[in-house]
Amino acid sequence: MKSIRKIDAIPKLNGSWKFLDDYSYEEMIHGQLLYSTCHHGTIKKIHFPDGYNLSEFTVVSAANIPGENIVPEPVCDQPYMADKEVFHFGQVIMGIAHPNRKLLREFIRKIKIEYEELPAIIDIKECLENEDNVFGKELIIDHRTGRKPDPNWIHHHKIYYTPHQEQAYLEPQGMIAVWQPKEKIMFVRATCQCPFFVKEGVETIMGSAIKEAVIETSEGIGGAFGGKEDFPSLLAGITSLLSYKSGKPVKIVLEREDDIQITTKRHPARIEIETWTDPETRKIMKIYIDYRLDAGAYQTLSPVVLARGVLHAISGYSIPDAYIRGRLFRSNTPSNGAFRGFGAPQAFAAMEAHVESIAADMNINPYKFRRKNIFRIGNEFPTTQPILENNLSDCLERVIEKSNYLQKLEEFKEWNKTHKDKKGIGISIGYHGGGYTGNGEKVLNSEVKVVIEKDATVKIYVANTDMGQGAHTTLAQMFFEAIDHPREKCLVQLPNTSKTPNSGPTVASRTIYIIGNLLRRFALKIKDELGFENLDDYVSSNQNEFPREFRMKFVQDPSVVFDEENYVGVAYKDYSWAACVTEIYFHADTYQIELTKSWNVIDIGKVVNQKIAVGQAEGGILQGLAYGLCEFFYKAGYGRMHGFSDYALPTTMDLPEIDVEFIHTDSPIAKGLGEIPMDFPAPSVRNAFHNATGIFIDEYPLVPERIFKSLTADERR
Amino acid sequence: MKFIRPNDMEGLFQNMEENNDRRYFLAGGTDINVQIKNGVIKNAEIIYIKHLKELNGIQIVKDDIVIGAVTNITEILNSKIIKENLPFFQRSLESFASPLLQTSATIGGNIANGSPTADVVPLLLVLDAKLEIVSKTQTRIIELNNFFTGYKTNIMKTNELIRSIIIPRKAENGFDTYFEKVGSRKSLMISKVTLAGLKNISHSKFTTVKLAVGSLNEYPRRLYKIEEYLTDKSLIEINFLKVEELLNEEITPITDLRSDKEYRYHVCVNLIRTFLNE
Repeated sequence: MKSIRKIDAIPKLNGSWKFLDDYSYEEMIHGQLLYSTCHHGTIKKIHFPDGYNLSEFTVVSAANIPGENIVPEPVCDQPYMADKEVFHFGQVIMGIAHPNRKLLREFIRKIKIEYEELPAIIDIKECLENEDNVFGKELIIDHRTGRKPDPNWIHHHKIYYTPHQEQAYLEPQGMIAVWQPKEKIMFVRATCQCPFFVKEGVETIMGSAIKEAVIETSEGIGGAFGGKEDFPSLLAGITSLLSYKSGKPVKIVLEREDDIQITTKRHPARIEIETWTDPETRKIMKIYIDYRLDAGAYQTLSPVVLARGVLHAISGYSIPDAYIRGRLFRSNTPSNGAFRGFGAPQAFAAMEAHVESIAADMNINPYKFRRKNIFRIGNEFPTTQPILENNLSDCLERVIEKSNYLQKLEEFKEWNKTHKDKKGIGISIGYHGGGYTGNGEKVLNSEVKVVIEKDATVKIYVANTDMGQGAHTTLAQMFFEAIDHPREKCLVQLPNTSKTPNSGPTVASRTIYIIGNLLRRFALKIKDELGFENLDDYVSSNQNEFPREFRMKFVQDPSVVFDEENYVGVAYKDYSWAACVTEIYFHADTYQIELTKSWNVIDIGKVVNQKIAVGQAEGGILQGLAYGLCEFFYKAGYGRMHGFSDYALPTTMDLPEIDVEFIHTDSPIAKGLGEIPMDFPAPSVRNAFHNATGIFIDEYPLVPERIFKSLTADERR
Repeated sequence: MKFIRPNDMEGLFQNMEENNDRRYFLAGGTDINVQIKNGVIKNAEIIYIKHLKELNGIQIVKDDIVIGAVTNITEILNSKIIKENLPFFQRSLESFASPLLQTSATIGGNIANGSPTADVVPLLLVLDAKLEIVSKTQTRIIELNNFFTGYKTNIMKTNELIRSIIIPRKAENGFDTYFEKVGSRKSLMISKVTLAGLKNISHSKFTTVKLAVGSLNEYPRRLYKIEEYLTDKSLIEINFLKVEELLNEEITPITDLRSDKEYRYHVCVNLIRTFLNE
């Protein structure tokens, strides 16, 4: 629980910590991407502008690729660069480099591309409503009992929609490739979450033209939130190709506008839910969920997002009879990708809204209805995985108690009677399975390495990156706290694929949960093997043994067995749980919701570093609340946004008071924290708005224009 | 692009004798720099003016407060003179962009840039502000209300610039004041609807009403028809359907990526109602 300071705190304050654009190499030139402005069409001609010396430019396209023109992903269907046909706005057509960054930008802006336009689907609803747009494999969790609903069970049927969300990392996507022809090595400096994905990305596009790609991250990675999981593979591929062709180091840093327009976003979703509830017992007896995601033009990693979506679709309720289907839909928009939460925020958006509707229809207190149906020991997930703890229920009880929910319900009801503006309070719950889904961690087969030097300094080699979330501080802390070694003698090394074993990507709330716990066990194992009490003493009296390297692999618990064909079994060994109560103030004149207070109780097991954990929670909670409240990226008829003046990221001024409490912290296991803060808070905003006004809105975000429409529609009725 | 930094006013005027419709004056740069980066402004003549002391500062001149055109928003927010004389104006400017931009953005720039969403303009309109417009040979004073001619256009010739903004010292005296800027977040936002209002009441009748709106027309403007209708009426004599009808004549809200015209219109109606009721 020790709140040791982040290793990067001071160098970030004084500006010495190097981000991607701070690196420079001799003779380095600058690259940019030329991308499609057509949603679907064949490229007829590309006109370069007059007045430029074309020999100064390095240009690469699909025709120049020595390896394969397919980005390695869970589904390999996306080319690095379009060949003849473009399938979405923002699809890369060429990489272009020049020594002068400004001139390059001007040159690219003046390039004209002629297309023969083809039919395109760009509207989210048009994409998700039409079942002809389905692509890829349908996922089904079938936990039906075959029992017919009793005639007195109450049927609820609703459709919920969620929008895109932009990761809005501070540092845009960037890459530097340095071709070393003598060694035939492509060295790449990356701002990314997954150095080994980038390595595979570069080796795929370069094929036999290179012997090996070596990826090292920049010292600082200015945020990622999932946005730097797969796009860096594509960017690194094209940057490498430019370096290979020009023979010079090439740096590409995306302009913010390009980054917003062409990189991956959170998948918009349409989730249809039908339930049958027994009015006597107030228990949901049967559920049907149709979970749909707009994948964009290619599947890429969307099937994995879909998997997590259906596995979290039921929220935290024990429902004896469940059928969940998940499908991907194709549109002519950039592929959507990873974003903190990975399919789960969409799932909770729908189900946490749905239970609120049922409770309202049946005139039951939303908390009491949840308590009746919430997961308890002895229940099981629709995959038949048994529920082994009551921690979700504990989170709910605690947040209700500390927020004074029941009393405030009454207070607000009274206050609202005499005021034009309204106050509201809403609940939501959520959870997140730690690590890769199903058998994923077995397949990843993560390995970590430690080198103990002659002065007893411990160098930790992991592929997991610190993108501002404090991973390198916390990972080191888990190692040195286990053996009581001084913190300044225990440092995580900058990930470099030629020195670091593959401990897997920095995704899926797995960094502390899988790699951190592995490092803790590893420290104890080394201590046991060498038989020391104090590492410093041991090293100084056994100098000839050092420096010495140790390696250890992650071994998955044998209880984790998941049938990926039928979606039966243990999908995740450990779950983090959470519950939230949010208070809002609704401004009647402007139809705006103001967040006033958010109470959050989270079980992530053992808390390694209290301050970092609270910081992660607060950031995620604000990101989650804003997902429900104000962030949208696309408006039908008006297209996609270009920058942050329109895209309504909240500012610190919009931040409500956020209360975070961790419970069950005496657990020996540190569970996943990365994503859960983003998963659960958004529905509480919507539910609080319902509490304030009696109106349900089934589509995020609850922007005032949408509220205005639904209020006036209500008046017309 | 040509960049000029004159040493003094004389040097400034020397550089702007000729008319040139590609001439831009650079002070805080919060609008112009973005337009240069986006390629909206190109092959232009940029004259830097932020350092010219004749264009800076806040003074009391007889019955007026005179604010130099390149005075930035932070300076106005920190000004004692403004605090004592125009506290409503000062308070309302806190919602201008963000604290960071306030240190750079200038009052004259916000006016001259001519955006329909300009934060300072509705406020200055209800305060009956005037502009001092100068060229090498001429100084003229015009009402801000007569300054704009259309979307991002105004009555200035390209050899003229705004030297100062003149606000009557007692512009707020005796009035109930109202200002609401509505946007998608609390800071760093471009307004969807802005309403500024002044009123005073005598024997339960509105003796004076001044109303100005932003983001609802090609440029911010006063709502004279509504003001006229409301004057000399008491609250119960006001037919709000008539106010809505007049508002419909005075504003032309649009639907865009940011917001919807119906929303903008109804929020404006609500704000006027609240302003009158409070």
